[in-house]
Amino acid sequence: MNKKNLRKKTLIAYAASAPALILIASIVVFPIIYTLYISLTNMNTYHWFNYEIIGLKNYQRALTVFDSGFFSALLTTILWTVVNIVIQLIIAFIVANLLNSPLIKHQKRLYETILMFPWAMPGYVSILLWKTGMFNTQFGLLNNWVQKLGFESQRWLSSDVSAFICCTVVNLWLALPFMIMIMDGGLKSIDKCLYESATIDGAGKFKQAMVVTIPCLKPIIGPSVVITIFTTFKTFDVIYLMVLQTGAQTGAHIQTIITYAYENAFITNNYGYSSAISIIIFIMLIAFSFVTSRRKNDDA
Amino acid sequence: MKKYKSLIILLMVVFVLTGCGKKNTSSSQSIVIWHDKEDAVIKVLEKHLKETVPEVEVTFEKKTGLTESLKLVGNDPSSAPDMYLFAHDKLGVYAEMGILSPLTDFITKEELSDYIPLTLSSATYKGEIYQLPLYFETLLFVYNKKYMSDEEVPKTTEELYKYMVSKTKYGHYGFVEQHSTPYYAVGWVHAFGSDYISSDGVPLFDTEEMKEALSYHKKFVSLMPGETEYATVNTLFLEGMAHTSIVGPWFVPSIKDKGIDVGFAQMPVVDSTGEPISPYCGVQGVHVIKVHAEEKKEAITKVLKALMSPQVGVDLALSTGAAPSRLSSYENEEVKNNTLVMLMRQTAESAAPMPNIPELDPIFVVAGNLLTDINMSGMDIDEAAEKAQKKALELIGNMR
Repeated sequence: MNKKNLRKKTLIAYAASAPALILIASIVVFPIIYTLYISLTNMNTYHWFNYEIIGLKNYQRALTVFDSGFFSALLTTILWTVVNIVIQLIIAFIVANLLNSPLIKHQKRLYETILMFPWAMPGYVSILLWKTGMFNTQFGLLNNWVQKLGFESQRWLSSDVSAFICCTVVNLWLALPFMIMIMDGGLKSIDKCLYESATIDGAGKFKQAMVVTIPCLKPIIGPSVVITIFTTFKTFDVIYLMVLQTGAQTGAHIQTIITYAYENAFITNNYGYSSAISIIIFIMLIAFSFVTSRRKNDDA
Repeated sequence: MKKYKSLIILLMVVFVLTGCGKKNTSSSQSIVIWHDKEDAVIKVLEKHLKETVPEVEVTFEKKTGLTESLKLVGNDPSSAPDMYLFAHDKLGVYAEMGILSPLTDFITKEELSDYIPLTLSSATYKGEIYQLPLYFETLLFVYNKKYMSDEEVPKTTEELYKYMVSKTKYGHYGFVEQHSTPYYAVGWVHAFGSDYISSDGVPLFDTEEMKEALSYHKKFVSLMPGETEYATVNTLFLEGMAHTSIVGPWFVPSIKDKGIDVGFAQMPVVDSTGEPISPYCGVQGVHVIKVHAEEKKEAITKVLKALMSPQVGVDLALSTGAAPSRLSSYENEEVKNNTLVMLMRQTAESAAPMPNIPELDPIFVVAGNLLTDINMSGMDIDEAAEKAQKKALELIGNMR
């Protein structure tokens, strides 16, 4: 292929992907650049439209947010991410395997539909349904059962530990369908010959899972796990709506870095300052992403 | 087929990139008013405006995220409304942002002499009046007559406490309120002569009066459910599991729909201070957005003057139970005989106007945390108050 043809093909390829690139640039890149710009200004209630560039002053002040409260929130966020990801992977692996079992061959589609249901519901609705329908002290299903068993009603969301567990349950309910779907797809793509060979070599079900299923699944589910780690790391809605929402607080003090930043910056209507905090958190996440992808490459 | 698909995708991209929101490109004789009110209120206003200023085309647009939308488009001529109908507590924020026109650009101060002073002071920020008050509302003490007779209604908080002690059992509550929600709990704080914030923006969380109020309030909270949110508290009253409560007028239609024989009473007086529980008073009214004010001055003035009619207050009172802001609306016999409206007015007279300063947003978050810390997490009051004061000062400092 001569140079001219190659250039032409490259140009066509860029032209073809231009609409998608423009769309991505406008909905992903532009907000980040705009936030960066706002973080360098004094945009707040008192300078809403007549704001001006003030350099790195907001960043200087933003560092005060990264106090002991922030680091405690960071630890909670890491714990939250680890717990959720580990449980998600285990449950999704078991459920995906069950879905691929010949025992439920005919009901497979029905089970798949039921399992996708939490994903189809808006997160906001699901979270509030769990909060009022399950965990509510007065009318929640859990306390209904507890009372029927002759015990005292519990305040499920009032202490940090029990609220953390309840939030984890809700997050799992919301996140599992995605992971199950990915694992299910991954399991289907594994060559059945590998299992036959393993069986001939005398491997039982557990051994097959360890030496065939998991190694084959790893590269398939890898990107989804990374995406889920990020989504879990920057959780806001589950924690905020379950325990922190103004007017509906429960007494627990769980904070992730995003809820902490919200309570310490965003409610002040100081967009310059809040944007600086957002950019710092964004940089932290990007750094985390580099570390993760590097490890992934090393593993590969 | 492929062509059609491409065309559809292209159209979608164009819509996304250009935005498909409704633009305010109306003539100088048409007015767009954003609001978040119930239909009954808007019907009254629409009917009155159609009759009195038919030459002005007024459109009411309901916006769920009104306050945030105004922040985004408040100075954008193509998207901002001409006016908006909302409570007075946000006007300080918008005045500071510079998106509001003072009311005196359209009507004189003298023309407002018939308004209840409390409503006018609520509409004023840094010496300028930014809102035309239409009606006001505050919280009311309600009781279920199935459980509490008119004679049993507590006059003082200690009487209420005795009632709570005797009736809070077997899943029933003598009294419930949104005990750890700042808007509801502030009534107790006012009764002790304090508030969350002073009129000049200084937080008051660590004052002795505040601590005394929180400590006294906690005694009552211990006999209430462990939930503070709206749905639980109101469902308990609607289901007949709570005998008395403190609710807003917006909740009254639900009580009546449920067929509960309900009574309304004055707030109990705190024995130790001699002051009644005094919740905030919210004034609902129309505000003028600056961006169209000059170009549509004539139409805006006509609409404002039409809304100043005492008949608007009368119609609002009779159809929604709201308390009118104009004194002359109360000369109407039907309004005079409306127990709910008159009680609202009486209660509002002892109520404190909700502050309209921009510092209110962070203060409410801090107050919510303080109440939760004390009432639901069992934190020591001195420690919680000190923590709240520090946080409030920090957040206020971060506003600039």
